Amino acid sequence: MIDIMTIILITLGGILIGVGVHFIPVGGAPAAMAQATGVGTGTVQLAAGAGLTGLISAGFMYNHLAISGTFTGLDYLMVVASGAVGSMIMITVTMFVGQLVYVYGVGVPPVSAKVKKDPITGDVQDLYVSRGTEGHGVPTVSFVSGTIGGLLGGLGGSMIYVQLMQIVGDPSNSGAVALAGIFATGVFYVNSVLASYNIGGTIEGFHDPKFKRVPKAIVSCLIASLLCAIIAVPIMGGVV
Amino acid sequence: MSTAAGGPAGGGIAPTQMIILGAVGGLAGIYLTMLNQAMDTTIFSFLGGIGAIFAAVWGADAVRRVCSYGLGTGVPSIGMVALGMGIVATMFGLTLPEVSGIPTIAGPIISFIVAAIIGLLIGLMSNKILMMNIPIMEKSMVEIAGAGALVMIGLSTAIAGSFDIVAIMPAVVETGFIALVFIGGAMTILHPFNACLGPDEKQDRTLGVAVSKGALIMALAGFASLAVESMDAMSGALTTIVGLVIWVVYFKRFMKHSHRDSYLVTGTGLLPTEEELE
Repeated sequence: MIDIMTIILITLGGILIGVGVHFIPVGGAPAAMAQATGVGTGTVQLAAGAGLTGLISAGFMYNHLAISGTFTGLDYLMVVASGAVGSMIMITVTMFVGQLVYVYGVGVPPVSAKVKKDPITGDVQDLYVSRGTEGHGVPTVSFVSGTIGGLLGGLGGSMIYVQLMQIVGDPSNSGAVALAGIFATGVFYVNSVLASYNIGGTIEGFHDPKFKRVPKAIVSCLIASLLCAIIAVPIMGGVV
Repeated sequence: MSTAAGGPAGGGIAPTQMIILGAVGGLAGIYLTMLNQAMDTTIFSFLGGIGAIFAAVWGADAVRRVCSYGLGTGVPSIGMVALGMGIVATMFGLTLPEVSGIPTIAGPIISFIVAAIIGLLIGLMSNKILMMNIPIMEKSMVEIAGAGALVMIGLSTAIAGSFDIVAIMPAVVETGFIALVFIGGAMTILHPFNACLGPDEKQDRTLGVAVSKGALIMALAGFASLAVESMDAMSGALTTIVGLVIWVVYFKRFMKHSHRDSYLVTGTGLLPTEEELE
């Protein structure tokens, strides 16, 4: 009755979310005052914002493709790609608008305090860090990192959603859609919070020394998502 | 980060009493809605909302105890993880009787236990793998997840009139009200401490916010149940009215407590006009 492959893919989706969160430049409260690099809000809020947008775009694509009755491997790729792109758009728009506020509103140059030179552009960073701060704005490397984070988060979220929907296999069943959506959201929150506990506050992106903690997040997200998947699969099969 | 770091939080009501109040009160509220089935009515649905308020107060107290250690990620994260675990556990517990033939009455208890198990696991991982080193993390996570599950079952029951998954699926899940229950329930647990934290945080003030927050969501659940076919309009209206009355009482009490805890409350008048400044 329980499909092992489904459980594995849901768990993998959870791990992708957990890893994706580490890529997103989260500045928290200090960044809201332009005293740390990244967007000025918490990890969970940023990850959830991007992840839920990904779920919506994945859900739209799934409904569009699966309503015909057949769902091929190519369709699967289309759905998860749609989810990933949705998340990436959301996170890049957030970073870009935040950047406009930092540069033209607060009047600070986007700069990282964790590296001397931007690993992508090679621009000098340390000269531009205001005294008493840990960087400000969203420098190029953080922007690219955040986009990768959106990709992974959206991919993970939509994988969970599609797997749950595939158990029922009926996109016109509104109960199944709502249940799969809310389950994916629940698993998304659990994994993004675990990842944010691993980060412990702020992170600039993949160049940040804190990024080395990723393996620990992978282990915890694996355990948590596996448990959620084992619980979720029989319900989706049983209730609708 | 944004929390009042430094040591365990004290308060008038001890943690053990809170656990009993929340777990017993929450489950009692949920199980009392069975009067609906016994008397063939839906008028007792508001008791589910009352149960949710008890559970929310417990959850908010657990949040204030664990967050006073300083999580580094802000208070909302712990509320969202509670409801993330809560929703998975709730749906599992309520569905299991339907799938396996266990009596429906066991549903909320199963949800509660499953939520506690997931909570324990997350708490253990936070301390042992992620090295958060918060001494009460495991215990608090069990409490918060359990409270989260009870809040969600309580609110769903208030909307659907029964905790039977056969009633909850069409009334709460298919209508999409589950999203309201999810985010509203999370707010009742995470918001009180997030709003009141600081060195002058007092237990009665924080928990008062939890009650008024729970009552507001309960009023919304009453509105939601108006759209549910199996519920009569009186039951939904009663849930809303009871919720609003509790909200008014506790919001006034919150204002009183805020004035009590502040150094000075004074009116500043309007902002001066440009001529007055010259």
